[in-house]
Amino acid sequence: MDYVILSLILLAIGIYGLLTKRHLLKVFVSVELIATAATLNFVMLASSLSKGVGEAFFILAFSTDTCVSAVILALLVVVHKKYGTSDIGALVKLEQGKEQKEAEE
Amino acid sequence: MIFEIISAVLVVSACLAIFLDEAVYCVAALANTLIFVALLYVLNDALFVAIFQFAVGAGTLAILFLSGEMLSEKPARTPPRSLLLTLLFGVFLSLPAIFLSISNPNGAVSGASFEEALWNLRAVDVVLQGLVMMTVALGIAIILHVKKRGAG
Repeated sequence: MDYVILSLILLAIGIYGLLTKRHLLKVFVSVELIATAATLNFVMLASSLSKGVGEAFFILAFSTDTCVSAVILALLVVVHKKYGTSDIGALVKLEQGKEQKEAEE
Repeated sequence: MIFEIISAVLVVSACLAIFLDEAVYCVAALANTLIFVALLYVLNDALFVAIFQFAVGAGTLAILFLSGEMLSEKPARTPPRSLLLTLLFGVFLSLPAIFLSISNPNGAVSGASFEEALWNLRAVDVVLQGLVMMTVALGIAIILHVKKRGAG
């Protein structure tokens, strides 16, 4: 079952992107890759064991993943419009500066 | 042989989705990844799942392209050398999936068919999907509310 290794590699790439990338959309792409790795593993194991339950649950998992993606993307667009940047470091600095201003006042 | 080619392209696409600088190219690479995952499903006789992945993935990717265009900040171009390095890195990562193998301990186990599983789990499925839709509606309502308050 080479699929297990393939899915592990996809998972590793996703986790690497999640930990190292600072752009919000890239973090989102990493999360998508992790979800893809999980569903790939799920479907392939179910398919190789001839279990239909895996495919049935895939539909639920993928629908959930798509809905979550929609909410995350909406949040990303709102954050980008509000702060004018998608960089996580810049967002943290903006928030810290705001808190300092509030503390000074 | 087909599995090896598809898995290599899949891993290279995943690497490109992470390492490319421009957001739209990242999304294009992610689209490629999802398409090749669907092809893997077709190879493994999970045709319904592949069609579902294509159908739902198309909508997701359209929204992702739009968001990527909105969020991209036009960084400096990726030098060709680093692009080549990324490609080589992806090919290197795909080697274990091609050459290694984990044996199946149980062999083929006969279980419920896909139609039976869908039918048996229909109640749980409907309730969970309803919960998911309600959560999404709540999330989007909160986002719009915050946005309206911020604008006003």
